[in-house]
Amino acid sequence: MRSLLSRVVALSLIATPLLAQEGEAAGGSVNLLSPSTGLMAWTLIIFAIVFVVLAKFAFGPITAAVRDREAALEAAIASAKADQDAAAALLAQHKALIEAAKGEAQKFISEGRATAESMRAELLESTKKQQDEMLERARRDIDAEKGKAIDEIRREAIDLALAGASKVIEKNLDDAQNRKLVESYLASIGTR
Amino acid sequence: MRFAALFTALVLAAAPARIAAQDAAPKKVDIITPHITDAHALDIPAGFGHGLVQEIELPHWAPLHIGSLELDMSPTKHVVMLLLAATLVIVALTSAARGVAKRAATGRPPTGFSGAMEAMVLYIRNEVILPNVGHHGEAFVPFGLTLFFFILTCNLLGLIPYGSTATGNIAVTATLAIVTFLVIEIAGMKALGAGYINTIIFWPRDMPLGMRIPMSIILSPVELIGKFTKPFALAIRLFANMTAGHIVVLALIGLIFSFGSYVLAPLPLAMAVAIMFLELMVAFLQAFIFTLLSSVFIGLVRESHH
Repeated sequence: MRSLLSRVVALSLIATPLLAQEGEAAGGSVNLLSPSTGLMAWTLIIFAIVFVVLAKFAFGPITAAVRDREAALEAAIASAKADQDAAAALLAQHKALIEAAKGEAQKFISEGRATAESMRAELLESTKKQQDEMLERARRDIDAEKGKAIDEIRREAIDLALAGASKVIEKNLDDAQNRKLVESYLASIGTR
Repeated sequence: MRFAALFTALVLAAAPARIAAQDAAPKKVDIITPHITDAHALDIPAGFGHGLVQEIELPHWAPLHIGSLELDMSPTKHVVMLLLAATLVIVALTSAARGVAKRAATGRPPTGFSGAMEAMVLYIRNEVILPNVGHHGEAFVPFGLTLFFFILTCNLLGLIPYGSTATGNIAVTATLAIVTFLVIEIAGMKALGAGYINTIIFWPRDMPLGMRIPMSIILSPVELIGKFTKPFALAIRLFANMTAGHIVVLALIGLIFSFGSYVLAPLPLAMAVAIMFLELMVAFLQAFIFTLLSSVFIGLVRESHH
């Protein structure tokens, strides 16, 4: 127990001269738990060399290469994501544009329709007004012509009556002759 | 292909026993201990007609003296395995890194071997280290990854023929654990600043002073022991797991020789093959666990605000 304890301490506190001898060299029973200082020193030296060489020429480059590759992958992923985002943004923009254009077109159509409607109404209105005006004028013209014709007829009738009466008066003595006279006059009117 | 390798490994593991058995029957042969312990010799394939395995003696160097410390830096089997593992790991991962960088220049993910290595590195980094060490854990990634790949390669080297498991040696696992311990404590000091002292001395501010002092006297040693048990457990876990698997495989192979029968041989062999597959999994698992627990401990000390 005590020897085990001493070995624990010896192992932990880097080889002590106590355990320097090699058990095997004595030729007797071999103690597997007694370390040889020479081998410990060799191990230390070899391990140190391996560590330095590997750290510098093996693990450094491998880790660097892997880190570079990871960085490249990361960058590729990031750029792909950025591209995707940009594409999505562009798509959204285009969608918005198309939506806006659609709205505008709709507006134009409705505006056009409204304009056409108002124009039609206006045209109809003005046509109706013109028509009314024309009708009114025609009516007025007709009335005026009618009045004029009636006046003419009246004047003519008066003239005729006067002419007839004067003829009657001229030949008042002979009734038969008067009659004949009037008749011949009327016949002359017919020829006139 | 893999079966052939495993079979060779098993035969090789058994080879010394066969030779020894011919010498003298009553002599006790230990095939397990030499296999799982360190040695100043290296097992290599022998030339044709000289058996399967041949030992070559490694050079002995005069021990270095640093103060009172005697340091025997003579290379051993495990030192060679550690160096081999270090070379393999460095070559594999730097070439993978080059492949990754080359493909990265064209902006594409890597393929083939570098792709597989990148996947492993990324898994350990993203799933094991970063979630456990807490915020700003990037600084601990190379350490954790080095632990994982180095331990894994050491573990796997123990499974191939002529290989030896350096991570089955307490000196290696203890050193790795001590390094981890230092990393944990330095991470704690950096993250907590002066508050780091609270991870050693238990000092509950919301208690009355009369309670605080006895609580501190009782619980401070617990906190301190807690600090040292973590790396101790790391060292023992890895060492024991790697050693145990090899002992099981060798014990199963040893059964063939205790029975001394060709008829019974396939059964322990089949079991040993199964254990070798398990060992393959354990090699990965233990490297993973060492890294995971190191990350968790680093995260614990960095997040411990009292």
